[in-house]
Amino acid sequence: MTDLHPISLTVNGREYTLAVEPRRLLVDVLRDDLGLTGTHIGCEHGVCGTCTVLLDGASIRSCITLAVQADGAEIRTVEGLADGAVLHPLQEEFWNKQGLQCGYCTPGMLLRACELLEQTPDPTAEQVREGIASNLCRCTGYAYIVEAVLAAAPRMRERTPAQTPTETTGAQA
Amino acid sequence: MTAVERPAAPPVRTHKADRRWVGKSIRKVEDPKFLRGRGGYIADLVRPGMLHAAVLRSPMPHARIVSIDTGAAEAAPGVHLVVTGARAAELTGPLPDFGPDPTKHTWRCLAAEKVRYVGEGVAVVVADNRYLAEDALELIDVEYEALPPVTDPEAALQPGAAMVHEALGSNLAYARQFDFGDVERDFAEADVVVRDRLRWHRSGGQPLETVGAIADFDPATERLTVHTNSLSFTSYMFMAAGALGVPMNKLDVHQVPAGGSFGSKLFVTKPFVIAGMCSRLLGRPVVYLEDRVDNISNCDHHGSDRVYDVELAVMRDGTMRSITIDTVDDYGAYIQFGVGHHGNALAQVTGPYTINSVRYRVRAALTNKNQQGAYRGFGSEVNNWMLEQMVDKAARELGMDPVEIRRRNFIPPASFPYFIPSGNVYDSGNYAAVLDKTLELADYDHWRAEQARAREEGRYIGIGVISAQERSVFSATEFWFWFDEPNAPVTSSPESVTLGVDATGTITATLYSCAFWGNSPETMVAQLVAEEFDVDPHSVSIIYHGTAGGLPATGPGGSRTTVMLAGAVEGASAKIKAKARKAAAHLLEVDPDDLEWTEGGFQVRGVPGQRKGLDEIAAMLHMFKHSFPEEVESGLEESKVFDHPYTTMPSADRSDLGVFYPFMGNACHVPVVEVDIETGRVSFLAYAAVHDCGTLVNPRSLAGHILGGTTQGIGTALYEEFVYDEEGQLITSSFLDYTIPTAAEMPEMTIGHIETPSPYTPHGIKGGGEGGRMMAPAAINAAVNDALAPLGVRVTELPMTPDRLRAAIRAAGQVSSAAR
Amino acid sequence: MKPPSFRYSSPATVPDAVALLVEHAEEDARVLAGGQSLVPLMNFRLAHPGFLVDLRRVPGLDSIRMDGDVLVLGAMVRQSAAERSAEVRVAAPLLAEALGHVAHPPIRNSGTVVGSIAHADPAAELPTVALAMDAEMTAVGPQGERRIPAAEFFQGPFTTALASDEILTEVRLPPFAGGHAFVEFARTHGNFAVVGVAALVAVTDGRVTRAAIAASGVGPTPVRMTAAEEALGGAVPDSAAIGAAVDAGTAGLQPAGDLQGSAATRIDIARAVLRDAIERAAERAQDRR
Repeated sequence: MTDLHPISLTVNGREYTLAVEPRRLLVDVLRDDLGLTGTHIGCEHGVCGTCTVLLDGASIRSCITLAVQADGAEIRTVEGLADGAVLHPLQEEFWNKQGLQCGYCTPGMLLRACELLEQTPDPTAEQVREGIASNLCRCTGYAYIVEAVLAAAPRMRERTPAQTPTETTGAQA
Repeated sequence: MTAVERPAAPPVRTHKADRRWVGKSIRKVEDPKFLRGRGGYIADLVRPGMLHAAVLRSPMPHARIVSIDTGAAEAAPGVHLVVTGARAAELTGPLPDFGPDPTKHTWRCLAAEKVRYVGEGVAVVVADNRYLAEDALELIDVEYEALPPVTDPEAALQPGAAMVHEALGSNLAYARQFDFGDVERDFAEADVVVRDRLRWHRSGGQPLETVGAIADFDPATERLTVHTNSLSFTSYMFMAAGALGVPMNKLDVHQVPAGGSFGSKLFVTKPFVIAGMCSRLLGRPVVYLEDRVDNISNCDHHGSDRVYDVELAVMRDGTMRSITIDTVDDYGAYIQFGVGHHGNALAQVTGPYTINSVRYRVRAALTNKNQQGAYRGFGSEVNNWMLEQMVDKAARELGMDPVEIRRRNFIPPASFPYFIPSGNVYDSGNYAAVLDKTLELADYDHWRAEQARAREEGRYIGIGVISAQERSVFSATEFWFWFDEPNAPVTSSPESVTLGVDATGTITATLYSCAFWGNSPETMVAQLVAEEFDVDPHSVSIIYHGTAGGLPATGPGGSRTTVMLAGAVEGASAKIKAKARKAAAHLLEVDPDDLEWTEGGFQVRGVPGQRKGLDEIAAMLHMFKHSFPEEVESGLEESKVFDHPYTTMPSADRSDLGVFYPFMGNACHVPVVEVDIETGRVSFLAYAAVHDCGTLVNPRSLAGHILGGTTQGIGTALYEEFVYDEEGQLITSSFLDYTIPTAAEMPEMTIGHIETPSPYTPHGIKGGGEGGRMMAPAAINAAVNDALAPLGVRVTELPMTPDRLRAAIRAAGQVSSAAR
Repeated sequence: MKPPSFRYSSPATVPDAVALLVEHAEEDARVLAGGQSLVPLMNFRLAHPGFLVDLRRVPGLDSIRMDGDVLVLGAMVRQSAAERSAEVRVAAPLLAEALGHVAHPPIRNSGTVVGSIAHADPAAELPTVALAMDAEMTAVGPQGERRIPAAEFFQGPFTTALASDEILTEVRLPPFAGGHAFVEFARTHGNFAVVGVAALVAVTDGRVTRAAIAASGVGPTPVRMTAAEEALGGAVPDSAAIGAAVDAGTAGLQPAGDLQGSAATRIDIARAVLRDAIERAAERAQDRR
């Protein structure tokens, strides 16, 4: 087979050393080699944003990024958002606001929203709409996603852990 | 109208007034796993030894396959198997087809002798991974002999057109004219006949997850286990089993969550059969998961693609008397659902209006395009658009206000149940209330004033007002009442649920279809169970059963999930409560009739201290056999097979199609748009929508579906189209060209609800999942036409792309401007 | 949709990179920068390079610097880095404005300014900006370094003056004292533009002293709108003069019709976009005074 290239990736704080074919897409390495299947594949040509992950803090399309291009990088995927049992404020607000239906675009949307709120901690609805325009959602019509991001913004600004620990019960008005 | 003998309607229900959980916008119970990226979609599943399939797509729209050389592909690294279409035709039977004369337009998992559209599969490669499989695809050499492509549906029906299926003898797969009521008389008596020609181009669901199946054939037991994101895995898979020649009792299909469907994952037997065929040949698990280009160009589900010639007979006062509809529908190369899309249209063909009579002529044309399937609305959304276009045109010709003409023709609330000319019934509704609430939410008068002001400034603001129907809960009859001698006149469409209360008192609900695709069957069932047993819905566990050992079920489609699950939950709960009541009565040593259900248990009427909670009863029934009479079986688990609550048979002469879509929602959409006449761009200034889908289980999730469906409708109205050029090439084969709206294109929407409960369903629920897309295209077209009225421009073709709008504006003599 | 197999190297110097391109010329060796155009093409199997030379380890290629009054962006400067750069905003505000229209932030986080220019998509923003700004492209090949003016660089759709063994190491953007505007018409946010216009207008004493305008989407390459520039020259940039410039600029255009619009619609849209771009650039030119 083709020559393999050694790469190292730090994914969600954990370091991995791998040998990959240069053509392997980052999304496939994350999913198939590291078992992190939360990063989904939507179009494989960089349009839909389903495969979005953070690479050194910046959102990228992992379906049009070669794994060798990420050598040495720090990567964050949806699996790295929650702190154990406690959901990330964005996850919590997506749940509260019903910012998802089928859940397929959700991981990419969450990571893009993460970057957006780090760059624009107190965004307007318009800024959120424009910010998440990079990621397609076919279910929700985006409205509740925008609400969720806006609701998460103050919680992320406080930089405190989620105020209410995630429980499996409880209604939301 | 002809008098029709009709079977009695089901008994009218009395709905519980003080609901605790039904009607609450709780957080959805299934969401946490998706939020953590633990959805477990088809691509996330790995079976030991699993191989990967990839399909070679035809670059030709219409061609004979002269030869296929697979030698180099078979010798390529990591390749285990190459199967051509010709070989596949020996190994598998035709795919399920509800069309007329299926043998005359045989549909197979891969093209055998000729290809009929760009993208049709001609061979499949199975390799160690998808990379290697795609490498091998490039090594397959296919020699084609080009045939003339058939691309225009009307030209396809002309004599001398090249034939998509020679066995059929023409490209006309189906033609029929239905007359419901005295059309001739109504037209003769009409003051004005409004005519138009309308064109709706094809778009599709395009969920972000494609379709896939993992097949695992065990040569020792000859058992085929399949995991798939098909939504129809219970009810239709016997046909896939037939195509594969696998006995039903050796087939076990497991559903996995689907990353969106919108109709596009109904049936989808092709990936299933391809994976199954390959797995059987190899004796190893094989996954076939479409890529995006497969999903656009070789799926089973492009949406409707119709040309309409319509005449509407109206009186000077605006009363609509009759309508004649003549439509040619471009079905593409195959016709798996027959013309069921027009059955959907006939379920609500006259909209919310008291139109006396209908003539409906449909011709299904076959062309060299991907075949039609399902897309949110299943053809009824096209009818809504057509009818509302005609109503607006009538208003314009009569000089009436678009709101007034609608109000004048509404079926009044006292008239329900109301039979429309086609024979379908509308169970209930209050159309004026929906309209009024929408106009209020839309701030209609304000926008009319704004529009007048803007026109003086040379700006083109338009307000669309449409009122239309949202049929729910299909009956199987709509798939065959088209034919005088149907092949399979089935009448069942059940849904089943098993409820179990375990020894600790926690409740598990088992579903037998109603696959998840974002439609929240889990949350619906959890709330319905919570309502029955006074438990927290988040404490209810939901399981999906595979087909082996499963109960009868149909699956989602036609907005039936919630109503049907509600019936099954209600039935299973009643059985649980009946057993629990007897058990409690025995334990309390009272008569069962002296007990009442309250706060999660049975108590002696009027004696609060004398009670047994469901948990106590369940523990006793599970663990203490000797505490009960001999005949009481251990455990507390019951199932309900819930059949469609209201369908009737069509008349023999098809002058009446019977009741086939009875739970009739209604909605009003009022978008406000501005058209930039220089560029043809349409932007939204406001958007209000009110839906009435009966009793709401989770209002926020229903609103979410309205928002999502409306967004897809915006796509249909303005952005999305599968475009085939004159040579039959698909020029929108990726998301680079098939334009899906982003968050930045969305209006700020205001959503409202009216709740007119159905008299025939549990809690009065009606289906509501498709409504947004059933309304938005009509509403946005109306708004654009309203905006462009001063220019004398009326757009009759969707999607309204900048190119189409500019062409219409240029034709009206508006040259582009330069300086302001 | 997986890329075909290729061999890969990430050399540490530009000469090493050039040597690899020469060595693997027969394998259709290609340069990899951000990969945001190349990798999708490979996923579609529309490109089959046998060897990729990744520039990511070459030190210094990610620098944004001033060479006198010329802004120089290295081959690995990500579009998002350029967008955020204060130097870019000051020295080439037209580029900064155009970058906001290039796809979406996740694409700009990977994609490079120079890579987009080298890709030469006739619908893309950055080649249009390069043409309007009279940019120079620095190419390094086996024979050494040369500078290619933008006017000679773009030769056709996805076709440039760059030889297959040359690497575009930087783009050089000369200053323009005046107003700028980048305006485009795209079907949806972040989509490729149907038409985009990059305009630079200098105004002295109320009259246009210099204009530089280029458009995408109206020809096989970005098109310099010389006739519009000439029409504006010496004029007071009022609506009549701008109208005349729009007439002049769009008069000879013969865009190919496609999915996004017939030739007539493209010209209609080009007229509106061109007008808006000149207006805005002229306004900003006035503001600068």
